[in-house]
Amino acid sequence: MTERKYRLAVDIGGTFVDAISYNEQSGEITVRKAPTTPAAPADGVITATQATEASLEEASVYTHGTTLGLNAILERKGAVTGIITNAGFRDIFEIARGDLPSGSKYDFQYRRPELLVKRRHTVGVPGRIDHRGKVVTDLDRQAVVEAGRLLSDRGVESVAVCFLHSYANTEHEEAAKSLLTSAFPDLSVSVSIDLVREYHEYERTSTAVADAYIRPILGKYLTDLEERLRARGFDGSFLIMRSAGGAMTSEIARVSPLLTVFSGPAGGIAGTISLGESTGRSSLISFDVGGTSLDACVIVDGAPTEVYEAEIEALPIRIPVFDIRTIGAGGGSIAWMDKGLLRVGPHSAGAVPGPICYGRGNTEPTVTDAALCLGYLAADEFLGGEMSLDREAAVRGVTEKLAEPLGMSTERAAASVFDVLLARTVGAIREITVERGLDPREFSLVAFGGAGPMLAPLLAREMELPEVVVPAAPAVFSAWGMLMSDLEYDVGQTVLTMLDDATLAQMQGVLAQLESEADGVLAAQSVPPENRVFMRHLDLRYNGQEHTLSVELEEADDQESVAAKFHQQHLERYGHKLNEEVQILTARVRGVGLLDKPSRHLGDQSSGIDQTASRVGERHAFDFATRERRVFPIYERSLLQPEVEIEGPAIIREPTSVTIVHSDQIAVPDRLGNLVVR
Amino acid sequence: MSARPKLDGATVEVIRHYLNSTAEQMRRTLVRTAFNPVIYEVLDFGISVYDRHRRLISESSGILSFLGANDFAIHKGVEKVGIENLHPGDVVIINVPYWSGAHAADAMLFTPVFGEGSDLPDAYLAVRAHWMDLGAKDPGYVLDSTSVHQEGLILPAVKLIKRGVVDPQIMAILRYNSRMPETIIGDFNAQISAMRVGERRLRQIWDKFGLADVDAAIDMIISHGAETAREAVRAMPDGQWSAHDWLDDDGVSHDLIRMAVTVTIEGDKFTVDYGDSDPGVPGPVNIPFGSTLSQAKNVFKSLTTPETPANHGHYQPLEVICPPGNLFHAVYPAATYTLWSTMVSFELINKALAQGMDHIAASSGSDEPGFMAVGTHPDNGEMYSVSNNEGIGWGGTPEHDGSNALQHLSTTAVRNTSMEVLEHKSPIFHERLELRRDSGGAGKWRGGLGVCREVTWVAVGELLSMKKKTKTRPWALRGGHEPETTNTMIVWPDTDRAHRARMERFTMQPGEGFRNFSAGGGGWGDPLDRPIELVREDVLDEYVSVEKAEEVYGVRVEPDGTATPTAARLERQAS
Repeated sequence: MTERKYRLAVDIGGTFVDAISYNEQSGEITVRKAPTTPAAPADGVITATQATEASLEEASVYTHGTTLGLNAILERKGAVTGIITNAGFRDIFEIARGDLPSGSKYDFQYRRPELLVKRRHTVGVPGRIDHRGKVVTDLDRQAVVEAGRLLSDRGVESVAVCFLHSYANTEHEEAAKSLLTSAFPDLSVSVSIDLVREYHEYERTSTAVADAYIRPILGKYLTDLEERLRARGFDGSFLIMRSAGGAMTSEIARVSPLLTVFSGPAGGIAGTISLGESTGRSSLISFDVGGTSLDACVIVDGAPTEVYEAEIEALPIRIPVFDIRTIGAGGGSIAWMDKGLLRVGPHSAGAVPGPICYGRGNTEPTVTDAALCLGYLAADEFLGGEMSLDREAAVRGVTEKLAEPLGMSTERAAASVFDVLLARTVGAIREITVERGLDPREFSLVAFGGAGPMLAPLLAREMELPEVVVPAAPAVFSAWGMLMSDLEYDVGQTVLTMLDDATLAQMQGVLAQLESEADGVLAAQSVPPENRVFMRHLDLRYNGQEHTLSVELEEADDQESVAAKFHQQHLERYGHKLNEEVQILTARVRGVGLLDKPSRHLGDQSSGIDQTASRVGERHAFDFATRERRVFPIYERSLLQPEVEIEGPAIIREPTSVTIVHSDQIAVPDRLGNLVVR
Repeated sequence: MSARPKLDGATVEVIRHYLNSTAEQMRRTLVRTAFNPVIYEVLDFGISVYDRHRRLISESSGILSFLGANDFAIHKGVEKVGIENLHPGDVVIINVPYWSGAHAADAMLFTPVFGEGSDLPDAYLAVRAHWMDLGAKDPGYVLDSTSVHQEGLILPAVKLIKRGVVDPQIMAILRYNSRMPETIIGDFNAQISAMRVGERRLRQIWDKFGLADVDAAIDMIISHGAETAREAVRAMPDGQWSAHDWLDDDGVSHDLIRMAVTVTIEGDKFTVDYGDSDPGVPGPVNIPFGSTLSQAKNVFKSLTTPETPANHGHYQPLEVICPPGNLFHAVYPAATYTLWSTMVSFELINKALAQGMDHIAASSGSDEPGFMAVGTHPDNGEMYSVSNNEGIGWGGTPEHDGSNALQHLSTTAVRNTSMEVLEHKSPIFHERLELRRDSGGAGKWRGGLGVCREVTWVAVGELLSMKKKTKTRPWALRGGHEPETTNTMIVWPDTDRAHRARMERFTMQPGEGFRNFSAGGGGWGDPLDRPIELVREDVLDEYVSVEKAEEVYGVRVEPDGTATPTAARLERQAS
């Protein structure tokens, strides 16, 4: 039998495919990038995989994160999709909620984005269930089959089924699913209750539509990729990253393709959690800065907040996702003058043409150009020296477009670009912490993505965060997170009942049933029973309130202890608790299939005395602590001695990223390969 | 002018982001802690941050009309309390319609915020939200009041919280005057939480930048806003245009009410005069001046600086005129509860401007044709009060079709209420909710479609209809057609009691119900100029019937989907 010593994770991003391989015997990590190949995404994945030189025959796990589903929705490249719903309600999807996206509230000529489903592809069938789950009108089974035929005849490839109040009684949707799948084997069918069992008919419908829209292409892609990996000798587990962290087997992913849509950012958060576990940190904010956007997520007690309110272009998707706040600001964001005020974003130069310094024709200064002016990037070190930057052009752009109109030096103008970007970021992070009553000063900032480590120490200064942790290979940290993921499966059911001892006892029954469902799914993914762990949660709220808090339910809990946990959480998050009855909205179970995880260690070599050996040069750069230009020593990250302090100012470089330490900060490499800036 | 050194444009932008985030953090706190579906489901609220001169510096909605009304109410509130009587930790409530620019149920709370060592407030935070019940003569909305004294408890800029301590006597008055005391107390707490978050954030901003620099930044942010808006007005043609439209009646009599506006653009000045409208009326459709100002501000903003978060400067070019006693300037004791008459008048400014400008869209369905259900829930014996804002078609524009079934232009951040939520919270049952074919006004660019909703009561309860414009149609532009069928609610449809509802209340017995039709938008341009392929698509999607396609658009669409032009279309093309 072949020895399986490698674990691989491959993450597709907008411009690059990141691949990471980990040799469990040697502890060696190999990181490779290949260009994304939008026309045939699997090609880029295979190229990046092969570049790691890890033998697929010797790989035990291959974890994949893909944005294929997300892009299909954004670019309207999914299947021809139809809707089957109740007679008289065919327009639930088109009518939606009637509101405008928040940035468009004064756009009185607003034009809706192209619908994922044409009206001619929506059909209502007789049958109706009421809010208690009682069948008011029986489902017209013949009408379901006729609807399927009509849609197939009109070229529909994939159907979303959603009936009113199906969360309270799944009978009609289940019947429709089995009727359609047996009558039309080539038709892909997505039913709402397989995805979400909560009320709000539009959101449930749009979730089912999104699922139906991407199901055929994602299934085809995963099958194709898996065949190509198997053809290259891989016979380990092929796992797909989920939007709420954790992974699932490719079989589950084909059944629940929607769970993959936000898998990219989820990888970074999974990595942050695992970093927290390995270093004993439990309160973390992940900070992922790429070329066009910045993602932040709060992690409390080792667990990120999950929400069921994700959106793709104003299309609500009720699947569990991490509560990630994204702002349109990154290395490529354009800085511009607006009648005397300096704005940064929302426009981005993207990867093409990219910042001025890429020399591809853009003349509008970006954050990356400002970084070059400030000395944070060097013209000949970008991407490990693979790409050279035009510093002169960047300086000219910042000078002419910003410094002169602002009446300040080029350097101050460049620093101001960072100030403005930072102000936006501070606002975004305060918003995600304050709405939960948290104090950001109790959090460690985990910085990754190409530009995260450059900006994070500044953000920490600004928000008085105690420290920044920069993981090893920060530019491919999402892929690392995927490597560290367990198998997970979530299932929930809306119950809507007051919390008392009788209903709690009932809940145990509901939860037991959900748990056995989750157990079945983990068993189907070959997780041995001893590695299956289940967490039971109740989503609770004050009677009359809408938003819920999720409370973990333990064996010994009774009505009183559950209510106490809820009151306490409410107090912590919102500053008050109420003398009100508590209502149970949803019962949830998360099943986790524990996988063996690589543990990183850099061996027991003794610490060096100083960092002299890792110091490779120096250059002038802008120090935000004193707001002046200073000499910054440059260190090579791979040569750093663990546990030996580096005093700021300092530039710590590595092939695809750079960490900037200001003069009132110090950096310390830990024994696990992380760099801590305080 | 002050001798203060001017701040650089980068620092100002940094401070601007911090100030905008303050309003956003208040909004998030309110939504997450609210008790009332009108806040968390419908998003019926408005949050504003003011400087010491009560100039708007940032805001977060909610409802657009609340925001403009806050600007008016903050001045009145401070004036009534007396600035010298405001202390740190105070929270004032104001709901006198003529001062607060809204009906009594939309009370505004505000708190003064003091910088280190200041004797007078350096800033104010305002949160307005719909209070579910303040003891008006009827539960839910009041549709036929003839005096403000029938519209709920009046709170004339009263301190609910004094120096951080809640006044138990005033809370008791609120509690005992409300039919839903738990809900309003819960929402009160949510609004306070939002203000406390805003207060902390403002203090942090002052600590970081210093009061003087923040003041200087605010001056620059406001003059930047003013300059941007003036530039936009200068780009519009000079001229004077008038327009009018009709409100069905005042809820008490049956007479049409004329709503009129004259818009004058001169250089960088934009003046809106409502004085040519009918005088005030006995029923509750009178509009407080604060609300009139607010609607003019919203439309002005959409025309000049739609993409930027609003501040005081953005409204500098705008002047709004209306004499007291007019429909648009209600005076005591005029009834104002159903001041949603502003929704019908909302697009008047556009209607006037369309005579002199090219890029104006035709009218939307122009009314917010929703409904409310109130009563005692048979499942739990508790009082319920639920409402839904119905979608309407928007008008065709010079570049594209009007969107189908959106919320009214004045409430673009508001959402309709989920049917499943409505059926949980009240004993009603939906029979149908669909787009209305052929309800969009025909045009080269078609008006968006309205909807049809059919509801039946399963236990006795009350229905409130919100119709304000059913007798006249939304307007079209440049040869477009007005929507043929318009805004109607039929109560007890298909029975011999079938009744065309206006703004009124009905008791519904089990098995009884209504059919509500919302209006589509007006068309833009001659329908014979609509590309034949788009007409064909509309027929396939059943937005337009085969008959209308032939009759109005001049396109014959066969059952197999082939489309051919009629003689009328060919003739139009030849001309």
